[in-house]
Amino acid sequence: MKENHFKYIGRRVPRVDAPEKVTGTLKYMTDYHFEQMVWGKVLRSQYPYALIKSIDISRAQSLPGVICVLTHKDIPGFNGFGIVVPDQPVLAHDMVRCTGDAVALVAAETKEIAEHALSLIEVDYEPLAPVTDAEFAMSSKAPSLHENGNIHSHVIIKNGDMDAAFEEADVILENTFYSPRQMHAFIETEGGWGVLEADGMLTIRCPGQYAYRDRLQIARALAMNPARIRVISNPIGGAFGGKDEITVQIYLALLALHTGGRPVKIHLSREESVIAGIKRHPFKVQMKTAAKKDGTLLANQVRAVADTGAYASLGGAVIALAIEHCCGPYKIPNVDLEGFCVYTNNGISGAFRGFGVNQVCAAIETHMDMIAEKLGMDPIEIRKKNAYEKGDRSSIGHELKTSVGTLKTLEIAETCELWKNRETHKKDSSEPWKKRGIGVATSFHAVGMGIGLPDYGAATIELMPDGTFKVGVGCEDIGGGNGTVYAQVAAELLNCDIENITVIQGDTAQTLDSGTVTASRSTYTGGKAIAAAVPHMIRLLTEAASTLHKVEPEDILIGENEYYALTENGEQLLSYKDLYAHLQENRLPTKVEGHFMLPKEKEELPRSGGAPHHLYGYLTHLVLVEVDTFTGETEVLRVVSIPDAGQVLNPQGLEGQTEGGAVMGIGYTLYEDVLMDGGYHQTANFTNYIIPTIRETPLIETFPAESMEETGPFGAKGIGEVVMIPIIAAIMNAIYDAAGVRIKHLPATPERIYQAMKTGEVRQ
Amino acid sequence: MYVSDIDMLSPRSLQECLYLLENEKASFRLLAGGTDAVVRMKEGKWQHDCWLNLKNIDELKFIAIEKDEIHIGPLTTHQEIISSPLLRDHADVLVQACREVGAAQMQNMGTIGGNIGTASPAGDTIPALFVLGAIIELTSLTGKRHICAEDFFIGPGKTVAFPNEIITKISFKIRGKHDLGIFQKLGPRKAQSISIVNVAISLSMKEGTRECTGGRIAFGSVGPVVLRAKKCEAMLALGELSPDMIANISRVAWKEVMPISDIRASASYRRDMASALLERGLYRLMKRWADDERKPF
Ligand SMILES: Cc1cc2nc3c(=O)[nH]c(=O)nc-3n(C[C@H](O)[C@H](O)[C@H](O)COP(=O)(O)OP(=O)(O)OC[C@H]3O[C@@H](n4cnc5c(N)ncnc54)[C@H](O)[C@@H]3O)c2cc1C
Repeated sequence: MKENHFKYIGRRVPRVDAPEKVTGTLKYMTDYHFEQMVWGKVLRSQYPYALIKSIDISRAQSLPGVICVLTHKDIPGFNGFGIVVPDQPVLAHDMVRCTGDAVALVAAETKEIAEHALSLIEVDYEPLAPVTDAEFAMSSKAPSLHENGNIHSHVIIKNGDMDAAFEEADVILENTFYSPRQMHAFIETEGGWGVLEADGMLTIRCPGQYAYRDRLQIARALAMNPARIRVISNPIGGAFGGKDEITVQIYLALLALHTGGRPVKIHLSREESVIAGIKRHPFKVQMKTAAKKDGTLLANQVRAVADTGAYASLGGAVIALAIEHCCGPYKIPNVDLEGFCVYTNNGISGAFRGFGVNQVCAAIETHMDMIAEKLGMDPIEIRKKNAYEKGDRSSIGHELKTSVGTLKTLEIAETCELWKNRETHKKDSSEPWKKRGIGVATSFHAVGMGIGLPDYGAATIELMPDGTFKVGVGCEDIGGGNGTVYAQVAAELLNCDIENITVIQGDTAQTLDSGTVTASRSTYTGGKAIAAAVPHMIRLLTEAASTLHKVEPEDILIGENEYYALTENGEQLLSYKDLYAHLQENRLPTKVEGHFMLPKEKEELPRSGGAPHHLYGYLTHLVLVEVDTFTGETEVLRVVSIPDAGQVLNPQGLEGQTEGGAVMGIGYTLYEDVLMDGGYHQTANFTNYIIPTIRETPLIETFPAESMEETGPFGAKGIGEVVMIPIIAAIMNAIYDAAGVRIKHLPATPERIYQAMKTGEVRQ
Repeated sequence: MYVSDIDMLSPRSLQECLYLLENEKASFRLLAGGTDAVVRMKEGKWQHDCWLNLKNIDELKFIAIEKDEIHIGPLTTHQEIISSPLLRDHADVLVQACREVGAAQMQNMGTIGGNIGTASPAGDTIPALFVLGAIIELTSLTGKRHICAEDFFIGPGKTVAFPNEIITKISFKIRGKHDLGIFQKLGPRKAQSISIVNVAISLSMKEGTRECTGGRIAFGSVGPVVLRAKKCEAMLALGELSPDMIANISRVAWKEVMPISDIRASASYRRDMASALLERGLYRLMKRWADDERKPF
């Protein structure tokens, strides 16, 4: 890292929440138990697709220890939720569309009584044949799962002349890729608690990714003034997108209205979380790519179908982002891209780190590798040749106005040890039947919301009686460490020690609406909002100091952790505490706000669903793998992660992301999939949902390619998602390099690799 | 019945434990490390009145050598087996199998008696016990029975033990001078995974050569119980264990197994993997044999 003149920015500042998390003293919301607390439970559907003819709750109601049993009849407001379209019933009324559908709620004295009560609820179903294949769902033979048919969204981007391009091409590749139903696998399953306070306020404590929006969704279902609802959504035992949508907030709210003021807790078991929680969209991606002899990309044709399951959640946005990113960070003059987001009875898919880009990056980056091989080109060279730069036109046809780091990341990749000595590394295999390979891939990911969605941030800074600052940002810390970055930005700009900063996040009573913690946006947005608030606080303090000493504001100097007044009697020192006392005595405000609108592109590409974005983070991955040719087992031995995050605010925090992202990408590529059959989950819990452990965690090196993003806080941009994206294709390419097989159906399990080797689809 | 209604008794001696099993009306389930028991309890699978907690019965926890026999108490944890110098010398195949059970947490809590008691076809210590020729001792208030490991298992989760009996000892002969063994496991990942296929191999070698005078091979996760591969075993002594010979023996393995398809793997992959693990295991064993003895082959 190069030298800078900052005290905190760009420094390895330890996570402010590290000690309490590492020592286990932090309590997650689902860890709490309260006197007088009651347990809530959700009755889930027995069938993936069925009509409900009747629901009889009488036996459950009369079970001793049961406090209330609620059905759709007990919903005071609108019976539905969903971030974009509220197509998911809070409690199913006449139909169930997946086994995650909630049919009834119970509150009882103990968890076991609540569970028993669920078994006493009699639901008369008429099962229907479930729709379990997205392509079938799009056909005219499939029953319509929603009013407007099974195609929830259809996005299109077209440019150039495809026929001419394919005519002109020297190489044309056409392949179909399938991707898994990845689970977020957060450490804390969905849960929380709700209570109706004595004054009629409803408090919902439930980990989430946007407390203000959760509050609105609760209010809509309860027909209640949102101002009467407080949502506390922080701290969180991981989210990764899986807590972006409503999880149990509305259930908690409904139950809390019926427990006589007693707090009600819901905490899903892992098994229930698997069934009811959202997943990453499984995609089918058909891609046809054309290039010239010299490696120049000519055309890309893509058809992607995403299985969103029973409800839309953010599925429409996921497919839109996938199509926006499916040509990679390249300039391909002719493209014909379309994506479908399709309803089925396969659980529910929604937001997940990467948001559709993972699935399409696997396709384009495999094709880049295949084209390079066909043309005898170096895989980094071909990417450099086609990468766009700032000012260029992207494949989707818009001009890149913000920083683009692809070339720089590829140059670093070329000169790093793993790549330079790749032939030696490959020869180094530990046993004769193990084959090593090295793969590379590059990708990008938008920062912030697309066109059509307002994108803003807000922060508060409050001077406290003890002379510290309380910095409030709505964006929750879902594990990425944005709270530490907020403290760094505030301390740097206020010119105080970081110990003087307390950050609060995710509480509608204490923080302003600052948008979601998604879309790799929270460092950028929260950082800018704090930067917008700081001048107001400085003005407040300067004015206080100048009145105190009766000097002009120009005679006030900002020191480290203190202010100085230049008076006739020389320099007078003022502590934050002094300033607070003065403000307090004179009934002056001690709290300021900062607001920030994210820059956006002006013109939306028609029918693209919100493209283009204004800002993107870029990243190149290199990996070294070893494949056991006896069994097909793949081990990732080394990962090099080269992010362009703009200016790095905290190298340690960045490494936390690049390392965690790499491991999540390894899981996606090699192990993870929630298997479904006939609309039922075959994978029940972590017994068969395989995520990497520390033994599957390789050496991961991070070499930031810093660019300067003029619009960002201290030049930074977002990185939370792209850190897990190119590694997928890099591993796929490395497997090919090692064993000569192209795995196009993820995860690349030992069985899939072995079968590919056995059936002889091996490189000649 | 709620899980919280299940009682627990913690007898202090084997005698007390056997007495309870014989005379109490309640239905019991023995509890050792609990790493299988708690999972089943959570799933609501084991419905019984009372846990009989063995944790305090120190007399079930031992690793000893008596004349030409090794004795292991059922309450011995996987970790204790892994760190026993005696077992490293005499039962390398069992030590390796225990290393593959779950990960550190499971090895610290889980016991060999529990692994046998669960009687999973994928239980990792069971193939090792097969090739060691282990004898399992069952004790009830009225007496003892000694059953060869291969005859102990009836089917998934089922053993010949009666409800009033408990496993009190696992024993096998000390190894010959030129015996060596290996355990190979294929799981969906390296740690905390249930075997897709596993195999235990033990060989008796002729000093200074690549000739094998006999051996045992047992596969797990390829049938309703762990299976000995007798055809492969018969081929072991046919000649030098050259790479060709190893490949030939291994090819026969798929005929000896009868796997099913499940969420973890297809039957045909399991078949292929039986051969693959045997082949890989034999290569690794022969390399070790060569390295250990510094043989010129
Ligand atoms: C995360 C995880 C990973 C695992 N990984 C593996 C693995 O890789 N390989 C593997 O083989 N297993 C694995 N297991 C299963 C388990 O850890 C082992 O089977 C372990 O050896 C069980 O021992 P225990 O002492 O915990 O048994 P318990 O759970 O206490 O008991 C298991 C059964 O044995 C019976 N039992 C216990 N002691 C006796 C006795 N003395 N006499 C008669 N019956 C008895 C009990 O009644 C019960 O039916 C895993 C389990 C978990 C939770």
